[in-house]
Formats: sequence, structure tokens, C-alpha cells
Amino acid sequence: MNIHKLFDYKEYVNVNGMMFTDELICLLQNSLTLLQVENHFLNMQYWGQIYAVDNDYHIAVGINADAVADRKYFYTTDFKFWGLLPKSKKKYKQLSLLTSFPFRGEPSMKTKVLDEALEENHPDRCTIMKEESRLAATISIISEEAEVCARGQLIKQPSGTVVLNPNFYGLTAAEAKQLKSYLHIRPAQQRWNTNLLTRQDYNYSMDFLDSIDQDIPSGCWNLSIEQAGSMVYLKSLYWPGMMYFHKVRTADAGFLYVGNGRKNLDVPFLL
Amino acid sequence: MSQTFLLEPDIIAATQNVMPDLNNDLVLAKNFLKQQSAATGDSLYDHLVDVVQKILSQSPPDVVDNFEQYSWEVKQEKFRPNFDLLNDIYLSPPQLATVRQVDEMFRLVASKATKLDAGGEEEQELDLEEDNYKPKIQDLVDHNYYFRQAGFGLPASECYAIYISMIMLGIKEPVSTIRFFGKIFGTKANYYVMETDLTLEELDRRIRAFELKDMPGEGEAIDEAKAQAVEEQAEILGEGEGKEPVSKEPVPPKIPPEPVSTWQPPPPIPVERPGQGINRKVYWVCNRPGEPWICLPDIKPDHVRVARLCVRCMTGELDSEVITFPPFEGTEKEFLRAQIARIAAATSISPQGFFTYGSGEEEEDLDMEEGGGDMEFNLNPFYQGHTLKDLMDSNLTYWVHHGRHILKQGRTLWWNPNAGMEEGLEEEDDEGPPPVEPEVGPPLFTSLSEDARIEGMSAWSARVSSTLSPERAMVVLRSNLWPGAVAYATVGKKSECLYVGWGLKYNPPNFSPLQLPVPQLEYPIGPEIMEMADPTFADEEAYRIAHLPPPPPPVMMEEAGFGEEIEEED
Repeated sequence: MNIHKLFDYKEYVNVNGMMFTDELICLLQNSLTLLQVENHFLNMQYWGQIYAVDNDYHIAVGINADAVADRKYFYTTDFKFWGLLPKSKKKYKQLSLLTSFPFRGEPSMKTKVLDEALEENHPDRCTIMKEESRLAATISIISEEAEVCARGQLIKQPSGTVVLNPNFYGLTAAEAKQLKSYLHIRPAQQRWNTNLLTRQDYNYSMDFLDSIDQDIPSGCWNLSIEQAGSMVYLKSLYWPGMMYFHKVRTADAGFLYVGNGRKNLDVPFLL
Repeated sequence: MSQTFLLEPDIIAATQNVMPDLNNDLVLAKNFLKQQSAATGDSLYDHLVDVVQKILSQSPPDVVDNFEQYSWEVKQEKFRPNFDLLNDIYLSPPQLATVRQVDEMFRLVASKATKLDAGGEEEQELDLEEDNYKPKIQDLVDHNYYFRQAGFGLPASECYAIYISMIMLGIKEPVSTIRFFGKIFGTKANYYVMETDLTLEELDRRIRAFELKDMPGEGEAIDEAKAQAVEEQAEILGEGEGKEPVSKEPVPPKIPPEPVSTWQPPPPIPVERPGQGINRKVYWVCNRPGEPWICLPDIKPDHVRVARLCVRCMTGELDSEVITFPPFEGTEKEFLRAQIARIAAATSISPQGFFTYGSGEEEEDLDMEEGGGDMEFNLNPFYQGHTLKDLMDSNLTYWVHHGRHILKQGRTLWWNPNAGMEEGLEEEDDEGPPPVEPEVGPPLFTSLSEDARIEGMSAWSARVSSTLSPERAMVVLRSNLWPGAVAYATVGKKSECLYVGWGLKYNPPNFSPLQLPVPQLEYPIGPEIMEMADPTFADEEAYRIAHLPPPPPPVMMEEAGFGEEIEEED
């Protein structure tokens, strides 16, 4: 969520009982504004928190010209130094799903990961992974699977770049109740005409992303409408700790993840 | 350009003139723009007028960058009917239903408060007696303030409404203490959970009802009666069949009697009575503050056992079915209650010395051994608080559990399954089951340092709420085992725990359902039923040759043979 609106969003945020403290907001706004200026980001967002044993990681996203393709992730443990997260590799993405150890809070720490699917003498069976690459991989998986926006929040311009829609006035109450109105922030994985033609009021500039109602199993997204229909919360059962809120008919919306960075693989049993 | 634009009538007049000139071009262009689209009946001219009008009147920034979007919005607005045939019907805001409920609650609480006020002024002495009935309600607003300082808690919009509904619970239901346990998410609705103690009268009533239901004789009698009825029915059926063979149908071969199972279920573990063990506290839930509170039923040990073996999300409907393996006896009501019991047992923590056995007012001789597992504990009036450093200690020795550990049996007090047989045991030593080792859980007020670790991580993570201002800082503990369970303690005398989550335990690497038992053998394994390879021709030939009758002895040697034999016989 936009760091300059954290104080406004303070009351809306509630992930598993976690709420922003004033101190956290102040620290975030100060250090992230400085970071934004240093890197010339058009938009700076607070992404969330990854629990670790010693120090928790705080993650921020800087957005430049393209809101989907041009994102840079930063992490910190002390709000003084924000480190740029490396691009996640496919190998580490797989390994980070395998490992069950908690994060330690020390980016340079190396952990051994045992891939039991491989044969006994396979060279990749036991791999060493730096916690920084694990963090990068975990965050890119979460962003890919769980980071969402309301339909119309991102628009594709005729030039092909995706920007945050400055004229986003929010979903209507009826739209907000449908999973169809929420889209994954990632390069589309479905065919373009699936995303476009499954709705009647299609719009080329809005329906270029995958909508979350296509996710499997149906029910892995939990949409709850609170405060008598004026707030919509979206939670993912796969990533407990993920939250997306949207205030109906306003531009207020935001994504947040606060959790231990572990995917919940028990979802089929939960439903 | 000296020529100015003409007005409409002039233009039309000018069109009479067919000579190519500027006015004529203008008219042609305008006519083109005014062409109506066949699909919508709209023309580009009107659209452009609307767009320009909207841009000029609203003057949004950087229109040129998102002009397409803007034009799209203008079009969308146009298709909305601006006249409504149902103009006179007032559509009430969607909040109305909620507001009605909350309003009712506010009225009730307010009327009670004013009544108490008035009563207090007039007859204070009489009121003292009434005060005994007034339930002790936890100051949620205050605790929530501290939770918020520590980075957890409830939004202000919920907190106050919940606090008022706690008061409503105290007015409507026979409870003596009320504490906010937490919030449990469901797929359709969320639960707010209150933890209460019943008033003495209500508790007595429930215990009596419980004992009546649990009378040992009655249940069995019913079972026997049922069994008898079944047998009788079977007999009747059997007789009926006996008469039938008069018909010409072939008589079926007589089938040997069906084998009867000799398996006996283990004796059920007795339920803990209301006000004891896992049923010590009574929980009330509702989906939204303002709704009437629903009491969750007491649970059986079996509920806890099954709840431990499965994972499931709450739905938010108390009567929804719980489909699990092993089968869960009951609806979501019982399941929710079992999960709450587990969470309460695992995540009720407080700084050391916050609670104490007995009333704590005076030094009492406390018999720790006798019933130490189910003793009352109260706030310790002598609790002075711990320093920040102590509370943050990485071993967490300054934090203790005040939730009673639930044993594997599903009870907090161990029940001896052989209690009834023990007298017999003394007489006939060898027979009967061996005496069972009593199962002992950690006693109350065990330090958190004794908690089992998960994957090399301790079960609790301690964080300090503020790094910038140590004077205001407090310690908050976050459970890693039950994500969503937190507890805070200030340097002073405040401490509380809260649970906001899905009611799911963290079990790395992931949940694996209970395996079905191995199917039993139908026959004892022996040589008759063993599978073995058929002998090949070569094997059979070898066998035949090996078992040939001995060749007849040659005649020539007959005498000598006899002689030898005779010699041998000698």
C-alpha cells in the first residue's frame, strides 16, 4: 500500500490481529520516502513483513514507469538500510517452497536444503541457499500468487505500459462482491481472450490481467465484506497473512502480507 | 484567418452555395461527425462535446495522458439512465440491517446503565446486593489500546462495538466474568468469541443437568432395549422366512452362521463436567457485534482427539456439517469449541507471578499435590511487574502458561481407564490389563521455556513494541504454533492475550491425513493358502525319476543275496 497513505489506512489494516503502530508508520514513511527519492520511483509501496526468528524483515516495493514489469523490491530489518532484493531464480523458488526452516533474520546466512525428490547421489540433492535469495524467491512467489488489485486500479495504456490508474474511483458494491473484479498483479498467464471475453463489460485497457476467480481450487480466496458493506477484505488461504482491502467506491485499496513466508499446502483439506 | 465561424442558420443558408469554400467544408465535416451510430444512436459530435465539457468543468490533471480512459468514462455515464421510473422509492443504505441490531443493543445497554445510575443515587445500600450479580467485564478498550501500541489488536470501529456487546452479554446471560477471547475467521463469516464463567446458580443447574444425563444406568438400558428390539425383529423375520419354503422355489443351501465380531470398543473416556477441565470456561460466539450471543456446548474428550487429527476452516455457520476423517461427532459448534479449547490451552500466557493459586490475599497453605491440576487461580495483588529485559529474555523464563494442558486423552485431568477393575486386580494378579501409567502434562504456570520447539524455532517470538522510546515500550509475544495468538505485558501490571486468526495450527511441513488401518487378514497364513509357482515339466520329470519304484533285483544274485541277508540277520 502507498506509503504516503499509511496513516489513512491504519484502521483498515488487520491481518491476523496485526495492526500498524504509529512508530512503525513513522519509521516506514521516513525511510521509504528517502528511498523513493534516491531511486526516483514514481510510486513507493509498503509490501509487508516476513517473520523471522531474530529480526523481522520489512519489504517495500518501488514502482517506476511500468506498474507490473518494472518493480523493485527492498528489504530491511532495522529501517536504516534498505537492501535491494536480487531477481529471484527459478531454482531458489523451488527450494524455498521445500525448506521448512523459519527465516532467521540474517540475510547472509546460508542454509542447506535437501530435495528428497532427487536421487541419492544427485549433485543438486543438497543445495546451499543464502537467506537473501530465499527471501527474494519467497516474495516473488507470494507476489505472483497472492498480490492482487481491483479491476481498474491498473490500466494498460495504448503504448503498452501499465500504470496505476489516476482516475480509479473504486468498485461499486455489487462489483466488489465478485471475485471476478480482482486481478492478479503479474504478467497474464491465461490467454488474453480468456481474460477479456469472460466478462460482458470487457475493456481492453483493464482486462489484461488474470482474474482471481480462475484460481484452483475455487474457495482458496476468501472475500469478506465488513462494516456493513463498505469495506471488502480479500484473504488467500494459500498464504495466511496476506490481505487486500478495498473501500467500496473510493480509491482506497492496498495489499499487505504479514506472515512467516510459508505456503499453506493444506488448503484442499481446509475446504 | 479573418473569417469567423458562422452560426448554425447561417451555415445552413450557406450550404445552398455549392461552391467549394470553408463554410461548406465545415458543414460537411460537422455532418459527418453528427452521423449516428447504428448500434447506439450516439454520434461522435455529441460525445466530443460531452468529453470537452466534462474536462473543462472538472479540470482533471494530465488529461492527455489518460484521455482514452476519460472518454470511456464519459461513454459509460451516458448509458446510465438519468431518469428513474421508481423515483419515489427510497433505497435505504446497506448499513441499515446492522444498524438496527446495534441500535437495539445500545438501547438495552443504555437503559440498564441509566437504571443503575438512578438506583445508585436513591438506594445505595440495597444496590450493594445487586452488585454481586453484576458480571466482571474485562476492560477491552483499555487492553486494545495496549495491543495497538504493540502492533496487534482490533480496529477502533470493532473494538467499541464489541465492548458494548460484552456488556449486553453480561445483562442477558447468567455469567459472572467476561473476557474477550478473540476473533476467528471463517469462509463466510467471522466469529467473535467471549470467554466467561457462569454464575454459581447457573453452574449448579448445568451440573445437575449433566449428572442426570450422565447417569450410568440409563444409557445402557436404552441400548439394551434397542438391542432387544432388533433381536426380536430378527426373530420375527426369521420365522417369516421359515414358513416361506412352501413355495416351489429351490431351497437355498444352508449358510453357516455369520461370524460375530468379538471386538469391544474401549470404554469411552468420561466427559469433564461443566466448570471443570476443558469445560471450565463457557464460550459465547456471534458473527457480528450486536447479534445475540450463542453459547457453545461443552465438549467431549473425543472432540478434542478428532480436532487434533484434522484441519478444517470454519465456515461461519454454527450448524454446518463437519466432514473429516476420523469422523467428527457434532456440528461446527462442537468443532469450534474444541479448537477454542486447544488454542486456550496452548496460548494463555502471562508474566510469571501475574496469577497465583488461591485468592492470593494471604499466605494460604496450598496443597499442591491434591488436585493441583484443576486449581483455581486468581490475579496476584502482589504482582509488581518485570523489567523489559526480563520479559524479553530469549529463554522466556519470565513467562508462564496459565492455560491447562490438555492431555492426549482429551481431558486436563487424567482419567484412569482401569479404575473400576483395580479392586479385582489385587485378587487375581495375572489377569486383567496392566496398570496404566498416569499421563501427566506440564503443571500450571510452567515456564514457556519448556515449550516444544517447532523446526528449530521456539514456539513464541518476543518483540519489543518500540525501539525509539524505551519508556513507552512493552513486550509482545507472538505464537509461532498458533499464528494469530499474541500476548502483551507492560513493565507495569498489565498483561493480556488475544487470538485473531483462522483457528489453524501451524504444522510443518504440512498436514497429512490419518492413514486408514491396514486391512485385516482373512485367513491365517499357512502352506495351504500360500501362493507358489507351478512346477515346470522339467521339475515334474525330475520328481518322477526320483520317485520311480526301485528296479527289481537281478535274479542271478538271488542266493548270495539271501545268504547275505541271513548273515546280517544273525
